[in-house]
Amino acid sequence: MHNCSCENPLVPGIVEVVKIIDETPDIKNFYVRSENGVPFNVMPGQLAMVSLVPVGEGMFSVSWQEENDHLEFAIKRTGLMTDELHKIEVGQKLGVRGPYGNGFPVEECKGKNMLFIAGGIGLAPLRSFIKYCFKHREDYGKITILYGSRSAADLCFKDELFEKWPQEKDTEVYVTIDNPEEGWDGHVGFVPAYLEELNPSPEGTIAVICGPPIMIKFALQSLEKMGYNDEQVITTLEMRMKCGIGKCGRCNIGSEYICLDGPVFNLAQLKQLPPEW
Amino acid sequence: MKVLKTGKLEQVIDRLAQQADVYVPMLRGQQSGFYSWKTYNEDFDDLMFDILNVYQSPKHLILPQTEKMYSFRQEGQEVSIEEVAADIEPKVIMGIRSCDVRGIEYLDEVFLTKGYVDEFYKARRDKITIIANACYNPGKNCFCDSMGVSPTDPEAADVIMREVNGGYVWDVKTEKGEAITKQIEDLLEEQDVELFSLKPFLRKVEYDGVAEKLKDMFEHPMWEKYSEPCQTCGICTYLCPTCYCFDIQVKAWGDEGYRFRCWDSCMYHEYTQMAGGHNPREAAKERFRNRFLHKLQFFPERYGRPLCTGCGRCIVACPTGVSIIKIIDEVKEAETGA
Ligand code: SF4
Ligand code: SF4
Ligand code: FES
Repeated sequence: MHNCSCENPLVPGIVEVVKIIDETPDIKNFYVRSENGVPFNVMPGQLAMVSLVPVGEGMFSVSWQEENDHLEFAIKRTGLMTDELHKIEVGQKLGVRGPYGNGFPVEECKGKNMLFIAGGIGLAPLRSFIKYCFKHREDYGKITILYGSRSAADLCFKDELFEKWPQEKDTEVYVTIDNPEEGWDGHVGFVPAYLEELNPSPEGTIAVICGPPIMIKFALQSLEKMGYNDEQVITTLEMRMKCGIGKCGRCNIGSEYICLDGPVFNLAQLKQLPPEW
Repeated sequence: MKVLKTGKLEQVIDRLAQQADVYVPMLRGQQSGFYSWKTYNEDFDDLMFDILNVYQSPKHLILPQTEKMYSFRQEGQEVSIEEVAADIEPKVIMGIRSCDVRGIEYLDEVFLTKGYVDEFYKARRDKITIIANACYNPGKNCFCDSMGVSPTDPEAADVIMREVNGGYVWDVKTEKGEAITKQIEDLLEEQDVELFSLKPFLRKVEYDGVAEKLKDMFEHPMWEKYSEPCQTCGICTYLCPTCYCFDIQVKAWGDEGYRFRCWDSCMYHEYTQMAGGHNPREAAKERFRNRFLHKLQFFPERYGRPLCTGCGRCIVACPTGVSIIKIIDEVKEAETGA
């Protein structure tokens, strides 16, 4: 997937932060733009290394590429680097290098019904695929989106979830939060349980899951119960990354490098790997 | 055959050193390694062409322990990034043994193939000429031939020196080798000599089928047993001619600084520690297992050959007696369900 260029793949280019949206108390969506619009073309599910000088750099999934205009990174505060990132303001320059990884199999999924299952910040990577499906709406069948988070305040991309996506053709959006709270009249409960309740048919369907490991674990069990086979289930893996190009060594699971061969795998492929994911 | 007489060895090094930084095996203080001829001091250093593999492999000449990648500067919200134009001198590594040449072959595969070329590595590698020293008399910790390495015919060598009575046969292998030979041609002599024959290895290990077998041994109790003494000190990874893992770190003062990369070790906890707190290889046993599986199963699956050259350094250096030979033997003997 690497668009070959003679430039050094480990040296970032400069982008400007043109917009910052507070998605939740600990997730912000950063829009970045280079002189030419986007620093490089990214396919849904691919990664990029974002660096905040002089603090550090971190690998993030690109949560959307608006063609010729900007890239979006929805980033959750989880440590030193992301804490600092959350303090920046519009106009800040960042380094960015990529794109890395295989991305979602957008071609292979053509003609299928799509079932997207996400928890928390896990919607960020899936969103790139979801929006891609809407952009190429005629290429995909029915679209079902199931998303959950701890509380209503922790749901990201609310505007799309509640306003835009439900308007799309042949699309159903289900949202749930873990515990009841005042002012919430939607569904309450964990994602895997809600999934079983909704029981979407495996017929001609590809399920794409992303979220906290515990959610993924139970959602995988639910899908199996519902009759999904291992080729029909796709997820993305996370490992610590430094180089992004399969050289520095650390992101391996078995003989696969998550930065290069992943982060997207189907369940059949995952079952071939040692159980470190 | 072209022969370099022992008496002319230093002259040859001197000559080569006019056009390149020449690294040769020396004993410096208590430690043997490849040191620049420019730094040779006859009061302290012993030139040691007869030593087998030196304590420290010469991998740092291509993959330095630390290496600047680019510098940056911040002013308000503005950021500028500048590539560090590394001023890389041509180098000659002279007297390197087959096991360490194989180490470089593996580094080449990692850094130059599989989708991306690592430009930092390539810049150094392109300027390196390898003059190997063939082994005919393996040492007590050597097991290179068991790992598929020929002690007498290192593949990536540009020239192979073959020890004979009174000197070395100068066996040119590549264009780079020819180019370098031109510089010293007048110091070589044409002579008929008889090559030594390879003496038998004292250490043997059977690697055949090990990668295949390991696929079913991820949960085998041997990992518990062998990792138990390991202190995760990482010495084995630093001395290994094939271990290449690196970290990328930042050095900053005020608003400027640089990013650099440096050797890392899969034996360390931080290696896979994620920002959110989760660590997929939390326990020493898990890291130990990953290290050996990487060498014996994962690397072969990806690149076709095991990531061990049989140099024996890790076995000698490990403070707790961990031995890759024992591990291979145990895999060989293990009963697996398959
Ligand atoms: S040298 Fe020995 S103790 Fe140190 S990390 Fe390696 S195996 Fe463990
Ligand atoms: S391991 Fe092989 S190549 Fe290395 S020093 Fe020993 S005999 Fe020579
Ligand atoms: S991040 Fe370096 S190998 Fe994947």
